[in-house]
Amino acid sequence: MDREIGAGQASPAMIRRSASLLWRWGAGGGKRSLHSHLRWAGFFFVLPALIHLVIFKFYPMLQAFRLSFFRYDLMSPPVFSGLENYKLLWENPLFHQSFWVSVKYMFGVSIPEWFFALGLALLLNRRMPGRAVIRLAYFFPIAMSQIVVAMVWKFMYHPFGLVNTILETFGVGRINWLSMEESALPALIAIGIWRGIPLFGVIYLAGLQAIPKEYHEAAIIDGAGVFQRFFYVTIPLLLPTIMFVMVLSLLSAVKVFLNPLVMTEGGPNGTTRVLPYFIYETGFAFFRMGEAAAASMVLFVFLFGLTLIQLRLLRRGGVE
Amino acid sequence: MSRKTMLRLGGALISLLTVFGVMVMLLPYFWMVSSSIKTGIEVFDLPIKWIPDVIRWENYPNALSKGAFGVYFYNSFVVAFAVMAGNLVFCTLAGYGLAKFRFRHRELCFRLILSTLMLPLEIVLVPTFLVVRELGLVNTYGGLIAPLAVDAFGVFLMRQSIRDIPDSLIEAARMDGCSEFGIFWRIILPNCKPALGALALLAFRDNWDQFLWPFIVATSDNLKTFPLGLAQMEGIDSAAYHEIMALAVLGMIPAAFIFLFFQRAFVRGITLTGLKE
Repeated sequence: MDREIGAGQASPAMIRRSASLLWRWGAGGGKRSLHSHLRWAGFFFVLPALIHLVIFKFYPMLQAFRLSFFRYDLMSPPVFSGLENYKLLWENPLFHQSFWVSVKYMFGVSIPEWFFALGLALLLNRRMPGRAVIRLAYFFPIAMSQIVVAMVWKFMYHPFGLVNTILETFGVGRINWLSMEESALPALIAIGIWRGIPLFGVIYLAGLQAIPKEYHEAAIIDGAGVFQRFFYVTIPLLLPTIMFVMVLSLLSAVKVFLNPLVMTEGGPNGTTRVLPYFIYETGFAFFRMGEAAAASMVLFVFLFGLTLIQLRLLRRGGVE
Repeated sequence: MSRKTMLRLGGALISLLTVFGVMVMLLPYFWMVSSSIKTGIEVFDLPIKWIPDVIRWENYPNALSKGAFGVYFYNSFVVAFAVMAGNLVFCTLAGYGLAKFRFRHRELCFRLILSTLMLPLEIVLVPTFLVVRELGLVNTYGGLIAPLAVDAFGVFLMRQSIRDIPDSLIEAARMDGCSEFGIFWRIILPNCKPALGALALLAFRDNWDQFLWPFIVATSDNLKTFPLGLAQMEGIDSAAYHEIMALAVLGMIPAAFIFLFFQRAFVRGITLTGLKE
């Protein structure tokens, strides 16, 4: 730890002195060194959050890992069963189905979000009359609760609901969106996109506004058109934001649970049973905690791999 | 066509697109409010009457009487405010520590915190439940609130925003003999109000809204939150769309208030944060 104190200009004597001061301060007495005092303060500011995350994130994660090798029904004590849970999952066609439903939902929601949200941010970044009001109107849905969204859309998708009424004026017949295998998942995906655009729009807008105006001005002087400026100035400077939106949108899409639960109950025929729903059902409806934990591990490994790939790809794209 | 008229035409088109987009985003909410003041039959009337001839305010008391909604609303408020407070305190402290101090393994701490974005409750559902059960918190407010009190996104947001506060301000206060906590209280907090607003709004929304966790942990009726109550009522009486919509409108009001209250801070908070890395 000595090496880090006053990095750069520290002499060995200084280091020894501050180390001993640090020690004395830690022991409760003596003169305080500015350095040591600050280091401890910084760590103490972070500590409460760290402790919380250890108790409610990292420890449960380890528990999930351990539990995934046990047979456990909440009542009788856990019994070690080796890889049995993973084998059960592998042989369970419902798990395979569930996994692919989640993958489809994740990408089905987040990829359109990246583009629509960017489009929205570009629109709202322009100068136009009533911009403040328009921004407010777009961002208002950010405040809406999921349960309200779920209830409203369940009603919207009713055979005699608003969606069908609007489609009927274009000559499309009435569809029972939520109870047909082909349409249930796309219907939920549409809600996810609609719901995500405003928040990611704000984040993009923030990124756009952080781009210094001089870059655009310089590009204009050099004779760059609107599209050239977009592809050679805006996009490269926006890459960190784009990366953030990509990761965050995927991670938030994979968490969807409420909509399948209250709108389709995972049906029809499991076509909307996303992985969190599968985990919930296995654990808390069938009381197969070990198998649920194993499914959690699979989902975690998948998310982890995905995030790593994204970061790697974008780093290669020039983001440090 | 001259270049000027083309530009003007393009501008008009874009404005039109903007307004159309607003309609798409807000239409469901208009429909919700409109349906909440109709009869159960009128909600399916064609062509759609956005404002019915007779406004049925009685849907609201009728809907509320279909469950212990007073209790559910109260519980949602308790959970949402407690989690919001937890987030404001812990995320801001952690954000300050990570933004303005150098200490051993600081980057590691930051990465560990960020990595929990990959561990949402939905994934660690089973073991988190087991932890809460070990702590004896099943079916208590504590159990509802504790696991949600810190959120990695909040720490990230606060760290980004606090990093933009000039070091000279902090140094000056330190020279004047201000304690570390005093600096936090008098310099840092007043200078990151927009980010605090954004964090408050997001925390309130997400937890006013908590469904999955109360669904698992709150088994007794007097601990259920509003989303659970609404889903339960909908499960029993799924055809009463007018009343479900009335409850949905009521459920929307608190979050809408918080939004209007914090909206300037919210947009500025996210904007200033810049999410630059």
